[in-house]
Amino acid sequence: MLIRVERLVHTYSPGTPLERRALREVSLEIKPGERVGILGPTGSGKSTLVQHLAGLLEPTAGQVLLDGVAAHARTAPPPRMRGGWGGRRLRVGLAFQYPEDQIFEQTVFREVAFGPHNLGLAEAEIATRVRWALEMVGLDPATMEERVPFTLSGGEMRRVALAGVLALRPEVLILDEPTAGLDPRGRRNLLARVQAWQAETGSTLVLVSHNLDDLARVAERAVVLVGGRVVADGPFRQVLSDGELLRAAGLDVPQPVALLQALRASGWDVRTDYLLPEEAVAEIARAGVVRREHANHVRSDRLWYQQH
Amino acid sequence: MQPFGRLRAGPFIEARGLEYTYSLEGSGRIAALQGLDLAIGWGEFVALIGPNGSGKSTLARHFNGLLVPTAGEVRVGGLLTSDPHNLRAVRQQVGMVFQNPDNQLVASTVEEDVAFGPENLALPPEDIRARVDEALDIVGLLDYRTHPPHMLSGGQKQLVAIAGALATRPACIVFDEPTSMLDPPGRRKVLETIRRLNAAEGMTVVLITQSMDEAALARRALVMHAGRIAMDGPPAEIFEQAEQLRALGLDLPSAVEIADGLRSQNIPLPPGLLTVEALARALC
Repeated sequence: MLIRVERLVHTYSPGTPLERRALREVSLEIKPGERVGILGPTGSGKSTLVQHLAGLLEPTAGQVLLDGVAAHARTAPPPRMRGGWGGRRLRVGLAFQYPEDQIFEQTVFREVAFGPHNLGLAEAEIATRVRWALEMVGLDPATMEERVPFTLSGGEMRRVALAGVLALRPEVLILDEPTAGLDPRGRRNLLARVQAWQAETGSTLVLVSHNLDDLARVAERAVVLVGGRVVADGPFRQVLSDGELLRAAGLDVPQPVALLQALRASGWDVRTDYLLPEEAVAEIARAGVVRREHANHVRSDRLWYQQH
Repeated sequence: MQPFGRLRAGPFIEARGLEYTYSLEGSGRIAALQGLDLAIGWGEFVALIGPNGSGKSTLARHFNGLLVPTAGEVRVGGLLTSDPHNLRAVRQQVGMVFQNPDNQLVASTVEEDVAFGPENLALPPEDIRARVDEALDIVGLLDYRTHPPHMLSGGQKQLVAIAGALATRPACIVFDEPTSMLDPPGRRKVLETIRRLNAAEGMTVVLITQSMDEAALARRALVMHAGRIAMDGPPAEIFEQAEQLRALGLDLPSAVEIADGLRSQNIPLPPGLLTVEALARALC
């Protein structure tokens, strides 16, 4: 699905003292199969933008087109669809920033099955999808399916809510802060599984996060929002190694980049656009060998001069 | 006013044989804490880490009597939490700050929100005023006292929640993943405030977090697994045990991971490098 955002403006509570302009003429295009990271400080409009992509908000001005059709337009449901006017909108799956707020069912199974039910799928297919989705988020279907969602821990609830969105197998999967509150293994596994699923299905992936170290593993393109405007849009590695841009946007550079920048500032000859720890290790090891050889040369040169 | 931390000898929070079981309607029971012994001293800064569902939040809710043990006992400042007569005194000593700031703000201006706690203690108005001002001053939000809290950024809201906890003048604050929904500037501000509360005010701090980088800020780290304390020690020692941590579903702070990688490339480094700054200094 081709997503086109054209001069999108969103104003909350227009004409009241609380009026707030969340998006100011945002334009961007997301091609099918892209993996896009949306970054920006609190209040920059990230969550508003992704709700527009999912057709949940009506633009104040401008438009959002999904394959040429306005995202928020309410189309009549296709005949085979029992559960309302999903249609195009169900092709876009959005997991909210506080996904546990969207939980309402009696059991984990029914919670995750809610979306697939509305797609009008057969029971057997629904059961398969529920199991698949729970495994995607690192929960054991056998022990979890019959649990009551409200008895789960915060991190577990979050996983269940994410599973509910994944079970839709949407063409465009939008995750707003998907790893907040997950433990490190859960975070790593979720990102790896989502990435593998994306590679297999060619779905579009839009991730919103403050955690640049997480996004670095998945996103190929970075869109940076500040004050409701796009201030940077380009290849992930390039945008994320631009320390000045990130600091101005109120974001931290990824830790490996911070280390490489500190070393470079004290004379190391290292590249600073490595975003992953293992990449930084390789680069520092390489530069370290060069430095040691250089130091050895200097030392032996000095020795030679002293002796002659 | 007196400092928050009344630095005393002996433990402030003490758990002995602590068990807690959630009884679920129709779906059995879940043993969230399975016989846990723990002592936290006055003025300590403890990070509590562990995988989702390992019992961190359940344990933390025992520290101010929101939950009482199904077996064993918890004492706070010497008071048994399972005695209902002690609950008021216990809750006054231990404040809590949660993950989602929107769920813990109650009033229409910042100062009214912070005054909520001391008002419930039925203090004279001038004492309430003094406590609110002091609390807002500590978190750096005096200028925002008349703002509506919902118009603040996530980080500022979390600081209001901290001020609300401070205004009851507790000896300890338990922070349950206070930064996981904040952007980097908000996170830095909140962490700075937590550190200062501990260092300058002598506040006992328990910080629950999924960020190993944050856990490295504490002076002691407790690692929970399946309702028990699996590891207990200074962060520098805990993070040396990479394999055990990974087996528990945890991770290393990025700086420690990079330092380990470099050591395996035969680059000699001293132990205990927990931050990128420390690692950069060691390399230069």
